[in-house]
Amino acid sequence: MVHLTKKASMAASVGLIATTVLTSAVQAAETIKVGILHSLSGTMAISETTLKDVMLMLIEEQNKKGGVLGKQLEPVVVDPASDWPLFAEKARELLAVHKVSAVFGNWTSVSRKSVLPVFEELNGMLFYPVQYEGEESQRNVFYTGAAPNQQAIPAVDYLIENEEVERWVLAGTDYVYPRTTNKILEAYLKSKGVADEDMMINYTPFGHSDWQTIVADIKTFGSSGKKTAVVSTINGDANVPFYKELGNQGISAQDIPVVAFSVGEEELAGLDASPLVGHLAAWNYFQSVETEANEEFIEAWQEFTGDDNRVTNDPMEAHYIGFNMWVKAVEKAGTTDVDSVIDSIVGVSVPNLSGGYSAMMPNHHITKPVLIGEIQEDGQFDIVDETDGLVAGDAWSDYLPESAKLIADWRAPMACGNFNVETKSCGGVVSN
Amino acid sequence: MKRFIRHVALLLAFALCAVPAAQADEELTHLISALANGKLKEMPAKISALEKAGNSKIVPLFEALSAGTLFYRKADKAVFITRSSADGITLMAPLTLQEQGVTTKKSLKKIKVNNKLRRQLKTAIANLTLLSPDVSLRLSAAKELFKSSDPAVLPLLEEALHQESDASVRQAMQESYAAMTLRTQHASQQHRLDAIETLKAMGNQQALSVLTGFVASASEPEERDAATSVIASINKRLARWSVAQNVWYGLSLGSVLLLAAIGLAITFGVMGVINMAHGEMVMIGAYTTFMVQEVIRNSFPGLFDYSLAFALPLAFLASGAVGFAMERGIIRFLYGRPLETLLATWGVSLMLQQAVRTVFGPTNKEVGNPDWMSGAFELGAMTLTANRIWILAFAFVVFAVLLVVLRRTQFGLEVRAVTQNRRMAASMGIRTPWIDALTFALGSGIAGMAGVALSQISNVSPNLGQLYIIDSFMVVVFGGVGNLWGTFVGAMTLGVANKFLEPYAGAVLAKILTLVFIILFIQKKPRGLFALKGRAVDL
Amino acid sequence: MISKSLFTKLGPQSIWIVALLFLIAAVVPLLNLALPESHPLHVPSYLVGLFGKYLCYAMLALALDLVWGYCGILSLGHGAFFALGGYAMGMYLMRQIGTRGVYAHPTLPDFMVFLNWEELPWFWLGFDQFWFAALMVVAVPGLLAFVFGWFAFRSRVTGVYLSIITQAMTYALLLAFFRNDMGFGGNNGLTDFKDMLGVSLQSDGTRAALFSATAVALGLSFLLCSLIVNSKFGKLLVAIRDAESRARFLGYRVEHFKLFAFVVSAMIAGVAGALYVPQVGIINPGEFAPANSIEVVIWTAVGGRGTLFGPIFGALLVNGGKSYFTAAYPEYWLFALGGLFVLVTLFLPKGIVGVLSQLRSAAQKQLGQRASAETGAKPEAAE
Repeated sequence: MVHLTKKASMAASVGLIATTVLTSAVQAAETIKVGILHSLSGTMAISETTLKDVMLMLIEEQNKKGGVLGKQLEPVVVDPASDWPLFAEKARELLAVHKVSAVFGNWTSVSRKSVLPVFEELNGMLFYPVQYEGEESQRNVFYTGAAPNQQAIPAVDYLIENEEVERWVLAGTDYVYPRTTNKILEAYLKSKGVADEDMMINYTPFGHSDWQTIVADIKTFGSSGKKTAVVSTINGDANVPFYKELGNQGISAQDIPVVAFSVGEEELAGLDASPLVGHLAAWNYFQSVETEANEEFIEAWQEFTGDDNRVTNDPMEAHYIGFNMWVKAVEKAGTTDVDSVIDSIVGVSVPNLSGGYSAMMPNHHITKPVLIGEIQEDGQFDIVDETDGLVAGDAWSDYLPESAKLIADWRAPMACGNFNVETKSCGGVVSN
Repeated sequence: MKRFIRHVALLLAFALCAVPAAQADEELTHLISALANGKLKEMPAKISALEKAGNSKIVPLFEALSAGTLFYRKADKAVFITRSSADGITLMAPLTLQEQGVTTKKSLKKIKVNNKLRRQLKTAIANLTLLSPDVSLRLSAAKELFKSSDPAVLPLLEEALHQESDASVRQAMQESYAAMTLRTQHASQQHRLDAIETLKAMGNQQALSVLTGFVASASEPEERDAATSVIASINKRLARWSVAQNVWYGLSLGSVLLLAAIGLAITFGVMGVINMAHGEMVMIGAYTTFMVQEVIRNSFPGLFDYSLAFALPLAFLASGAVGFAMERGIIRFLYGRPLETLLATWGVSLMLQQAVRTVFGPTNKEVGNPDWMSGAFELGAMTLTANRIWILAFAFVVFAVLLVVLRRTQFGLEVRAVTQNRRMAASMGIRTPWIDALTFALGSGIAGMAGVALSQISNVSPNLGQLYIIDSFMVVVFGGVGNLWGTFVGAMTLGVANKFLEPYAGAVLAKILTLVFIILFIQKKPRGLFALKGRAVDL
Repeated sequence: MISKSLFTKLGPQSIWIVALLFLIAAVVPLLNLALPESHPLHVPSYLVGLFGKYLCYAMLALALDLVWGYCGILSLGHGAFFALGGYAMGMYLMRQIGTRGVYAHPTLPDFMVFLNWEELPWFWLGFDQFWFAALMVVAVPGLLAFVFGWFAFRSRVTGVYLSIITQAMTYALLLAFFRNDMGFGGNNGLTDFKDMLGVSLQSDGTRAALFSATAVALGLSFLLCSLIVNSKFGKLLVAIRDAESRARFLGYRVEHFKLFAFVVSAMIAGVAGALYVPQVGIINPGEFAPANSIEVVIWTAVGGRGTLFGPIFGALLVNGGKSYFTAAYPEYWLFALGGLFVLVTLFLPKGIVGVLSQLRSAAQKQLGQRASAETGAKPEAAE
């Protein structure tokens, strides 16, 4: 009896999945499928759900324009539930079962790392829309968010020039993005003549909610007489209590400004921004950018979500750019075949929302302007500085000794993500 | 053309007031209208010019500029101070503050400022209000000038000191004077030594910062030695205070843990239900606060400071109701199988999280701090933030009330009777199912009230509950299941221990060490800090 | 002779299940590799990988069931043993990358290179050898379980207290492994594996082999657990579960029995973790999350604890459901999952397999009654 049940259940679950395979195979003939791989539950749902919605909106708009290559686009949404191995499973499902032409997704570095081998093996395309630590360039991945040189370094430059900062607190959540960014910044600041005792580096766990001690330490560190600033790579969730504690302990932006790389309009929508006025953020896009394209985008977004107060943010713009690049590359290649699109997308340039054009670089990063914004009372940013022209994303930082030797160029004949200029060889190619 | 008319009108108005003032005002008006043009980089010069030309009349404009309420009209580039009101944006003339009608946000553009300008504006305002007749304005001006290093202000400060009659303002001015003396190095040696003495009396972080800066640049060895020894004594004093500060941080973390755990001390501790949905009860409380504030913001903005008072009972009822429903619908079938309540309540917790995500969306919700919960005050060299004080007080009150309810009321008696010996209690005529449901609702309701308090320091998101659930279990188990005092002492001990470890070990390691400590402690006392004695232990 | 006594000891059911698992181990790779994709019986690689993962989960659930279902120790920290086994395997796979990392460093893994580590920490030594890593896969979880259990069982920490401190254990490990200073890759964990025992991890053949290995390992663990629970020792475990004090008063050193079961269970969990990592391609601290360990408890409960087949069935069912719902109804799958847990606890307290075997014995009883009524004999007294 027992073993019968077992067989039956096996058959049932195989059947279950087989049905999914069949139904999807039938539809595949008429449409081009686009996978959306963002967590809709679990800890990352807070940031990623918005990106799923923005993708659905972009696809809908594209379909209204007649789709791509005369075919309609069909979004395939899955929920990897903020569970990293599940990301790999879902990526495999999107590529192997649903046969999607491109995937837009992921937020955290670890989720990207977890799906990388899958995209490599099954030869898919992943558009990754979030600012990240760099140190990666992969053939199947397109990094539409900022690399450290497109966010962190211009922000520090701004503080040195405009706020005359001499003392630095590098505060971050203990994971790879802050660790790498802080390593890069440390090297950069030293190259600018900042002494070791003028730098304080602090790491906190994810979701850290009790900031009393650390904020008090920052206050003490900042009272040495030299102008002090905090460079925050604190992860999304922990920011609200951090800023609340800053406000409560009476640290204003005029005394110790905080420049953050992970705080955008979405995060600020969750708190009362009045004590934060003047604190800074560095991004490649702000909702307050005054261009026609941006106004249209915001209007479309608010209409799509049916909420007049819904904000837009930088990763949304990254998806906007990435999606348009993919559409353009597919049209250029005349097919959705992954190899052809990967070849044709390098050099494709599409309008971004801040009034210029962003281009896909040979290292699969894109060019973007860097904007510095000050937080306003209404949770929006006032743009106080902007780089002259566009900054190209640098996959391998020049400020880390091992990484400075590497360059990435996916065009033939080099076609390598980590070419070592010293040994003149492509480092990571599987030799067997 | 419009602009011309406006100018004429303004001129006429001033002409009517006073003829000599008119000329100065004209210059001001001209400078003000220049704010609407040009780049951010040109602003500092414009502001200095305004400061030189102006008098206290210009202060409202500076304040508006700093607060981001200074706009210009796109059509004619006329500058206004604005105030948002129910029917749009009210425009006010920048000098006279007369209302100039209402307009829409679209027709205006904000005059941008950055931190550098805000600092400049603050100093400018301080300079302009140092001689103001209003004591509080003078006090804040004197305090603000502590940060200034502009030697040009020294004569003004001297004059102000000379005239000052209020003792506290005088002291603040003396301190600022001392700081400025040391920063600018313009005074005589005796002046500087006096200044060092003044700062020694101040003895706080701010004084320390001035002195450290001074030592770095001082040339006279005598002064340097004096300053160095004062620095040492201030540091010593601060080190003593830092112990007190750590205790305070520990207690305030403990109070958060206590709030999070106290509802669980009832549902888990007293009733033996491993309530994995406890965190979601806290979350429901926090979302109730959000909804109350939304209603107040939209309909009764004047009541915002009382929003938490409205939210507390509502959160108690909302979470209590969900708890009641859970008990009646699920948990009552599982008594005597405590480990299975874990599974069912875990399922409930998943569903509640997703329900909140579906209804309110996955993003953080804004819950504001009422005015009385913002800010901080200094006690010696300690900073006590208002919200932490209130939360500590609130946690104590909730604990005390709960203790009274359980010890002194009929309901409490029945709860204790049922948990100690269900069958006996039933044969004494107590409706045990009813008491079970009410006890569970009470525990959940208290979790909801905790949610109101936690919404003030934490994110309000569907993940809120998950943040606190493990800590809550640790606290209850560490304190001893079934003992409210255990929960209290447990929460405070863990809070203080964590905060004393943090400066040495860092936040992450401190937490790990606390967990290891709990594991080892349970080996020593397998039933927690305050173990129940008697037959109840075998439950 | 030996096999015969084994057979009688285990009973036909267990033999059937083990045989079935071995059969799957042999047939599925054949159906995957030998048949062309168009063939109706072809098993796509995607399913092979997916079910390989499920079988690892099933093994973990089986390990938990040995201590929970048979010994009454509800561990809310079994994910920790699973993850430790996984890390041991992950470290081996990391060392196998060799110079093929992005920085082409001969010994240091990539994450150490860009965080400026100078040399390999001591605890990474030896992991370039498969035998050493394989030993660590069972030794590290086993040792942790031994130390933890030694203290906990000797101090007679039981019931809810034990559950909560196992949770504290996995939570502390979670936080520790999150720290980048620990040298385990922090939040990102270990990833970007290239090959194992000289064969590429990305080929279908390796995936099928790993699937087979998992199925065989699950079969062997099942056999081991069957042997344990069907022996006198197993009877004692059940006695401890049902009345610990009584077992102690009868003169048994309860803590030794518990400790043995706990350590064996942790080792099985470690092996499951080690098989899991090459199949999913990543191991990171998320596996230590208390929520993951609770999920394992739920698989076991859904399938039916106290039966050895129950947890396997539960793990397959819940994870299959999760895979299906997260794709088909991404917004609502938590309702389905949560609802399932509530319904199972309320209506199927013994789990699905438990209820089925209850039904079966009820049916047999009825049959027996009918048969005995026909023959006129009295029915045997039911338990």
